[in-house]
Amino acid sequence: MKEIFKKEMVRVLGDKKMIFSMFILPAIMVIGIYALLGQLMSGMISDVEEHESIVYIQNAPEGMQALVDAVKYNENAKITYLNDGDSVTEYKDQILSGEVDLLVVFEKDFLEKFASYQNAGDAIPSVTVSYNSTENYSSAANSKFCSTVLAAMEAQLLQTRFNDLESLQVFETKEDLIQNEDKANGQFLAMMLPYLITFMLFSSAMGLCVDAVAGEKERGTMASMLITPVKRTGIISGKILALSLLSLISSAVYAVSMLVSMPSMMKTMAGADGDALSNFSVSPLQVIELLALMASLVLIYVALLCFISAFARNTKEAQTFVMPVYMVVLIAGMMTMFSSGMKTPIFNYAIPVYGTALSIQGIMTNELSLVQFGLSAASNLVCSLIFVILVVKAFNSEKIMLNA
Amino acid sequence: MIEIKNLTKVYKLSKKKMQELKTKETIKRAADNISLTARPGEIYGLLGPNGAGKTTTLRCVATLLKPSEGSVSVCGYDTITQGEEVRKNICLLTNEIKLDPHFSPKYMFQFFGKLHGVDDETIEKRRKELFDYFGISEFENKKIEELSTGMKQKASIAVSLVHDPKVVIFDEPTSGLDIITARNVTDLLLKLRDEGKLVIISTHIMSEAEKLCDRIGVIIDGKKVIEGTLNEILEATQAKDLEDAFFDLYKEHHKEEK
Repeated sequence: MKEIFKKEMVRVLGDKKMIFSMFILPAIMVIGIYALLGQLMSGMISDVEEHESIVYIQNAPEGMQALVDAVKYNENAKITYLNDGDSVTEYKDQILSGEVDLLVVFEKDFLEKFASYQNAGDAIPSVTVSYNSTENYSSAANSKFCSTVLAAMEAQLLQTRFNDLESLQVFETKEDLIQNEDKANGQFLAMMLPYLITFMLFSSAMGLCVDAVAGEKERGTMASMLITPVKRTGIISGKILALSLLSLISSAVYAVSMLVSMPSMMKTMAGADGDALSNFSVSPLQVIELLALMASLVLIYVALLCFISAFARNTKEAQTFVMPVYMVVLIAGMMTMFSSGMKTPIFNYAIPVYGTALSIQGIMTNELSLVQFGLSAASNLVCSLIFVILVVKAFNSEKIMLNA
Repeated sequence: MIEIKNLTKVYKLSKKKMQELKTKETIKRAADNISLTARPGEIYGLLGPNGAGKTTTLRCVATLLKPSEGSVSVCGYDTITQGEEVRKNICLLTNEIKLDPHFSPKYMFQFFGKLHGVDDETIEKRRKELFDYFGISEFENKKIEELSTGMKQKASIAVSLVHDPKVVIFDEPTSGLDIITARNVTDLLLKLRDEGKLVIISTHIMSEAEKLCDRIGVIIDGKKVIEGTLNEILEATQAKDLEDAFFDLYKEHHKEEK
């Protein structure tokens, strides 16, 4: 077993290309992609902010320009005022094609209609805002116009009607935020990390296991080991342990790169979540629990992948066989992303892969109990053992191993 | 010594395979009641056309396949119940069994030496001897995938002999090799025979069998149709050489089958 373990390790760690593709390239890729994503997002946001909005306003009430200036609607906006009777069809077409961002049509005699209001049920003037929700510039122009110009106009008119605006306020809502700071800080990671870990571990293990079993069968190098006095359980154990360790290292590289680059990306994009991530911390016990869960999970993956690969005649066939399992793993990881906060039944923690994803989520929100952790880890180990037994059976089958 | 008694190996045929072989039979008898004995200090040749059952027989001897019926023993050990002991005493080299191309011949030699339980000192001694014999010392640290076909075959043979096995089994040992490398291999087989080892080869090259084998067993359609020295076979078939003898046996076998 020791020699097989050593050989599998040397196969990867003794090859510069393998080291680069398994451990260095993923880190560069993750950090690079996240940095690029952050830059692109912030670029998109500032582009929308700096865009010269093209706005048409028809029947603008008196004092409109002054109001626009006062609320600093958009220094880059190019506002054109239209008269009553001017056709707006052309501008609507231009909104559709993205050439114009916004068309605001005030009802004719807007202020007069406002002033003539006496009792409830009397007609009130209307303003129609036309925009294109599929165009970022148009959407941004609409939301900014409504929240600044129209909101200010409404406040101004209410002031005119009621004199004292404060008398309209009948109560005040005060927000009293009661939350577990650890849970709040880890909430984003609790949503993302279980999915990322379950899927990254599988991806890392997939290539290695397919090559170590189906690849060796295809190249005829597996048979050369089968005719040595080493027991088949020794060959399998050596392979599974080495492949698990390598997959674990590879996915740890992914995870660390992600944790390093995610806060800076979040800060670039939004600011707040980035701060939450920087405030996030885990205790040594949580780190141990996380590593133990990852190790038990990778054992299932490696044993399962070795089992599937044993049935394939070549690596291509093995990859095809593995695909449905890949989908199941993706779904199991994703399921934790959409949990509603309802209490999870304890037996869910005993479901292999899904239970581990739940436990990782629990670690991130500081809510994982020892029983839940124990159930997840134990179910993974039992499941791994079952798969190891199946791999041994497969390796003992001449039909499977020699396609006889 | 190898003792094969009434060896039968039956494969179940899948529907796809039945269509491929254009047969209604649901099973194929790859080896059909084969018995033979091969002794130390001789080269025993298994002769037969492609698909005759030579490789199946050798795989049963090497414990890779389990006989459906009958028994095989190597150096007194049963291949089913004492597989580990059998594997300690044999080496098997076929076109389908190869060395990992990602490693060097030196690494592979040490790796298989350790799998066979050979100590480091002996591994080094044997590596020097065998690599020098085959002239691959110069390339011992190169990756196997970078070596030529001949070099790869030489490295495979050297590695297969790391544990100094008593029984050497080579399935079509010179197939695909150039004339010089093929000569190297046949010389080695003779050397091993002279050292007292039992060498068993399968081949369909008649001249190779004539030149190398002390005794020959001809297998056709899974059945052993004749066994003996070259002279004994020529005498029994009244043929002028092994090729003619083989054709006569082949025709006769198919006449009987019909």
